[in-house]
Amino acid sequence: MRQFWIFLKREWMEQVRGFKLIWVPLVFIFFGALEPLTYHFMPQILESVGNLPDGAEFNLPDMTGGDILMSLTGQYQMIGTLVLVLAFMAALSGERKSGAGTLLYVRPISYAAYFTSKWLSASLLGTLSVWLGYGMAMTYVIQLYDRYPDAGSIMRFLAVYSIWILLVITLTVAASAALPTGGAAGAALGILFIGQIVQGMFGSHWTWSPWKLPEYGMAFLDGGPETGGLTGAVAVSAVLIFLLVVFGSVAARRNASRAKV
Amino acid sequence: MTAVLEVLNLTKRFNGKAAVENLSFTLAGQTATALIGPNGSGKTTTMSMLAGLLRQTAGTVSFGKAEGDPRANIGFLPQYPSFFPWMNALEYLEMAAGLSGLPARGLRLECEKALGFVGLSGSAGKRVGGFSGGMKQRLGLAQAIIHRPSLLLLDEPVSALDPAGRREVMDMLKELGERSTILYSTHILNDAEEMTDQLLFLREGKLVEQGALEDIREKYGGDGYRLEFTDRGSAQRFAASCPWPAAIEGTVVRVGASAASLESVLGFAAGHADGVRTVGRDTVRLEEIFMKVVGRP
Repeated sequence: MRQFWIFLKREWMEQVRGFKLIWVPLVFIFFGALEPLTYHFMPQILESVGNLPDGAEFNLPDMTGGDILMSLTGQYQMIGTLVLVLAFMAALSGERKSGAGTLLYVRPISYAAYFTSKWLSASLLGTLSVWLGYGMAMTYVIQLYDRYPDAGSIMRFLAVYSIWILLVITLTVAASAALPTGGAAGAALGILFIGQIVQGMFGSHWTWSPWKLPEYGMAFLDGGPETGGLTGAVAVSAVLIFLLVVFGSVAARRNASRAKV
Repeated sequence: MTAVLEVLNLTKRFNGKAAVENLSFTLAGQTATALIGPNGSGKTTTMSMLAGLLRQTAGTVSFGKAEGDPRANIGFLPQYPSFFPWMNALEYLEMAAGLSGLPARGLRLECEKALGFVGLSGSAGKRVGGFSGGMKQRLGLAQAIIHRPSLLLLDEPVSALDPAGRREVMDMLKELGERSTILYSTHILNDAEEMTDQLLFLREGKLVEQGALEDIREKYGGDGYRLEFTDRGSAQRFAASCPWPAAIEGTVVRVGASAASLESVLGFAAGHADGVRTVGRDTVRLEEIFMKVVGRP
């Protein structure tokens, strides 16, 4: 347990001094602000960009606050995933490559403490960044939009979507334990995006799929999910996260010999 | 003296190719052992296996203290230690000491003492990212000794240092040798000559010679006289005509100390003065043994 705290303190130090604590939240906050602003000021933006023929008229959809949050979620599903994978793909593999891990692995460390400290700090940072992003979006939504979901719905949405984010981060850190940095990024992105494609094509029957979590979450912004698959999907995801943490700890131990000496 | 480390038939193969083959040796307590061999002879692979980083293909490594994680009693210094550049030296050492199970109470003091020992007191608060190679080596040594391990594994501990730094670190190692067992690899043979109870010569992953420095010296010529000539011809003529058994290596003739007295060698050399460059007492140098044992096949 003591090793876990020492490792966690080190992770915190690294996030602060490596500025990860700044730039990861900033990216999410940036997109969180951009989404409500662009939609709200779309007519003015189009006008100032100009070059529209006289008499051109657009019927812009009447966006509600809920629509903005869903559209933002769409952004986070692409760019957010990419940012999280980029931020944490080298969590373990980087230490093997630089050789800095070597001097940890020759000590009587628990690889479970080593891995879980990395997993926990990445999860906290990633989830917090996403929350801040939605917080930023809501700040503008409240000011600029007439209709928006109530706090309870948003909380429920965030709770479900956070599980998805946790899954993304856990997968990335576990991949970093098992593979070199490039391979880890490729594997994590591949699994996430291919899963989404497969989900889109054949997923209608498998309601327990973790890839359905964002969809279920967003349904809370629009009256609540229609299927009873949410509990199942959350359960499957929780088991998956647990298994990935175990896998990551084992992989970290097995790969210690790959550290540069 | 009890054995701190016993290695039996240690073998490591990478994709079927042996990097270390059937290595067996024993390290007694409070002794210093030099692992000597050319680049690629398997020194680092051996060290990594002993440190628990690499799993051996075959063979056993047993430590004196059977219970617990053997890594707790090992201090390891790789050839090019790397740290977390965003940490300062004291923070790094405190982390390392904590991970090795040193009690939190008095930890800072211990770490400051260790930094003082390796000569880094003035840089304790500096980020490791700005350290020179020599400072990293010192911090590497500090992290290897902070938990007072009974066995120190040092991979080329002084090779990357300048002469002054090398001198200092050698002195530190000698001091450490009084309370720990040290196994270090090196190709700086002067250092090995200076601090060693046992020599292990590695070549292509195999142990080709081992023993105490004196025994090995004796085996490869021991004390004697060394006569250097200006050309090979003079050396050969001298060796052929002198009354004692003589070994020729190029322009150098060596005569064993047991065979002749210095006076008689000098007297004989005076009679064959043409071509003599230097005459003197000599102990066979480790470098010469090295070339014989692990040099060109």
